[in-house]
Amino acid sequence: MAIEFEDVNDTFRRIKLSGRLDIPGTEAISIKFTNLAASASRRVVVDLTTVSFLASIGIRELISSAKALQLRGGRMVLLVGDNVAVSKTLQVTGIDALIPMFSNPSEADQAALA
Amino acid sequence: MSASIRNLVAELTIKADAERVRDASMWLAQSGTEFGVPEEELNRLDLCLNEALANIISHGNPAALTCPIHILLDVRRENDACEATATVSDAGPAFDTSSATIKPRPQTLADAEPGGLGLLMIRSFSDKLAYSYSHGRNHLSFSVRWIETR
Repeated sequence: MAIEFEDVNDTFRRIKLSGRLDIPGTEAISIKFTNLAASASRRVVVDLTTVSFLASIGIRELISSAKALQLRGGRMVLLVGDNVAVSKTLQVTGIDALIPMFSNPSEADQAALA
Repeated sequence: MSASIRNLVAELTIKADAERVRDASMWLAQSGTEFGVPEEELNRLDLCLNEALANIISHGNPAALTCPIHILLDVRRENDACEATATVSDAGPAFDTSSATIKPRPQTLADAEPGGLGLLMIRSFSDKLAYSYSHGRNHLSFSVRWIETR
């Protein structure tokens, strides 16, 4: 499991996750992801385009950070690209109704910054 | 004309430990690929397997956590109709995943609470779910189906 980030400016961050968000994969990135995603009031795009597997523990991680970020006045959106497996999991669990999900990177950026 | 029926079976035993969940996924991927299970169906089985194992590890009592978990993969083909079934057997208290109540979906992010998604995922990604309790063990089976194209 890999995690990378890019600060576009002081209030807009892109975080890219890669690999399997199963139990060991999520545990491996949990602390760093929470710090990157929810430690300050920012607009955050979480890029899941190269996540190969998304289990419920990974979804819980996304929800926890999205909630914490919202409480700080920030906003999280998800970028899935053409990752059918991940987008289907997010749709089946109804998470796409709670954290906006986009296939297009520009639309994800715009939604985060809106 | 009589039906052509083929069965392929693989078994794995693991410790009830989060570290072993990845091993189970790798075994499933290897066995399923060997048995000709398509990638999309294997991914659905893998999701169900991960959630079933996570439930045992997260909510199991000492018996569930100290006794090994048995996993059986059974791939059955009857002419072009195929079904892959994974059965997970554990020594925890009886818990019927196939009929347990699923929490209603939250309407807002603020209302969302961690947990409860595993059952929903198992039911959503499997085509058939069966549960039994015998000899002090839970036996949860989840199946995926597909039609083989030639």
